[in-house]
Amino acid sequence: MFYRKLIRYTSILYKYKNSSNYYTVTNFVRSLHSSLVNYEEKNDREYGALVHRNAFQEVDNKNKNTYLEMVKIFINRDNVYRRGHVEFIYSALKNMEEFGVQKDLEVYKALIDVLPKGKFIPTNMFQVEFMHYPKQQQCIIDLLEQMEENGVMPDYDMEDMLVNIFGNKAFPLRRYWRMMYWMPKFKNLSPWPVPDPIPKDTFELAKYAIERISSADVNSVVTVYQSADIKDSIDDTWIVSAQSNSQVRLLSEHNVDEPVYVEGSFKVWIKGHPINYFILRGEPKPIVDEDIDQDDVSHIEIPLFNLKPPVRKHLKIIRSVHEQEDGVIYSLCATGTSSKDSLLSWVRHLEKHGNPNLGKVPIVFTLRSGTKEVVNAESEEEERSQLEEK
Amino acid sequence: MNFGKGDDKGGYKDNRTLPSLKERMRDGLKELKHEIALWSNEVKERFESDPLLVFRPGEVDVIWQFKNAESLKKWIVTNDSDNNEGFSKSSLVLGNHEKALFSGQLSLKVPKDGRIKRTGYCNMRTIRARSVLRERDQLGNNKSFKREAHLDWTSYNMLVMRVRGDGRSYLLNINTRGYYDLTWNDMYHYVLFTRGGPYWQVARIPFSKFFFSSKGRVQDRQKQIPLNKITSFGITAGERYAGDFSLEIDYIGLEYDPNHTEEFAYEMYKIPKFMI
Repeated sequence: MFYRKLIRYTSILYKYKNSSNYYTVTNFVRSLHSSLVNYEEKNDREYGALVHRNAFQEVDNKNKNTYLEMVKIFINRDNVYRRGHVEFIYSALKNMEEFGVQKDLEVYKALIDVLPKGKFIPTNMFQVEFMHYPKQQQCIIDLLEQMEENGVMPDYDMEDMLVNIFGNKAFPLRRYWRMMYWMPKFKNLSPWPVPDPIPKDTFELAKYAIERISSADVNSVVTVYQSADIKDSIDDTWIVSAQSNSQVRLLSEHNVDEPVYVEGSFKVWIKGHPINYFILRGEPKPIVDEDIDQDDVSHIEIPLFNLKPPVRKHLKIIRSVHEQEDGVIYSLCATGTSSKDSLLSWVRHLEKHGNPNLGKVPIVFTLRSGTKEVVNAESEEEERSQLEEK
Repeated sequence: MNFGKGDDKGGYKDNRTLPSLKERMRDGLKELKHEIALWSNEVKERFESDPLLVFRPGEVDVIWQFKNAESLKKWIVTNDSDNNEGFSKSSLVLGNHEKALFSGQLSLKVPKDGRIKRTGYCNMRTIRARSVLRERDQLGNNKSFKREAHLDWTSYNMLVMRVRGDGRSYLLNINTRGYYDLTWNDMYHYVLFTRGGPYWQVARIPFSKFFFSSKGRVQDRQKQIPLNKITSFGITAGERYAGDFSLEIDYIGLEYDPNHTEEFAYEMYKIPKFMI
């Protein structure tokens, strides 16, 4: 050990002598006494700082490969005296979204792999309880938190890595175990699951949305129409429409003199994606709910003296899910353009496919202007705050 | 390290100055009439001793409904923008057909104060319970003189909500605040998934599914929800997607379902000693 140290010191001394025109003698003594790190940092400065503050932002082509390449560059820069892990991991975490890797487990594992194995393992219980190497532990806890926030579940490989780095009693391990316990429990909780990652195509999303809404009635059938199939239509787009048997029946029972309304657009969220939909609605049916007081004994009919047997109404038509307080919903749809023309094509399609009543009924379009998009709302706010700052 | 917390708001205490003593006395005396009426009712009920004992299975007992503006007074709406910790805004208003509409704008924008890491929540919760079982009527079973009480839901095992959402998921919070400062933030959570669209949905969530957490962190030592110690109920919109949200609520009720026999959905592992 001593021998190795001696060699290292002499080699530094040798390097130092060669560049001694740059340093004064006092500096030389201090650097020998304080640390080797001091000298090496100065040496590094010639090539650039060890941790680039904006290293991730300077990358031109931002994708997973370049991201992993950045991690590799950091690892290869110094294999023996690697420093600034924590700063590097934090800056890497910050820039994940720009590289589109925030949902990638492999990347998180690559970041954890930056830390040295075996160095941070506590050797006694006091070190464990007082968070041995707190900055490093906190850094990995923050990394795990970011994983959790992005819905990335860790795997058993990660446990091995963390055990090798921090030992089996450290705080990041505890967090890992908690994640492994709770995340699978919540992962598939939604009764209306969508694939992960969710497709970006609006048509696919609209299909999910309409299927989801129409799941209120199990008999609903989702059909995709093309608006171009209708004569004289201006738009050429898709229409995702849903209607069930009971809705067809309700529409056929609709009074021809009363209008039906095409209303929208309303918003439904499919895992962070807003989808606009429209409904075909009729006036609400009056709720006839005969409230019979069971305890009222003033009008008891005695069947004994009746000549005819009493006619009892045992059966009552159950209101379907489509008959609500605010209207009867005959059908619902989402179209590619959400324009009035595409909605007209939708109504014509419904008329052709089993609802001849729609040809006679007056149809009123009560369309609201499209609701504000999320992205716009956010960017507007940003702009406003930026203006205020100026 | 500190021993005990003096403030149950956890640093979010209201710093507004109180009105003058004279004003407070005047307001207090105004309250007196109502409180004495409550108190006399309470004494009467105690002597009558006729509590609800029969809970018919399959029948929903409505706890909160939104028939008039008065019913909105039982709810408090809070957003992260209230404490200058974000930009979300929301409101709880009375909609058509005696329904409440909880809607607003979720914003994930983090204010640049270097302290806050994440933002974006809107919350509605009931005021601290004063009724012993449930509010049968305006005077009913309330405790008088502003004494705090707990809601007792031990006879039920389901939470039933008739809602119409927008496809987002919401968090249901049941607060079981205890006496000691350690238990001030005890909460039980579960997710309310909404279908979205024009149809109303009835969500039936068993109490056994609610998991224990404190200050938004799921706890290691899980325990069953103490249904006799409920102090308030709340709904949070806190999805990690910015944008507007709307949740219409018809009623929030309770039900006893004899077919649901599960007591607690989560394993109660014996955790290693060092894990706390």
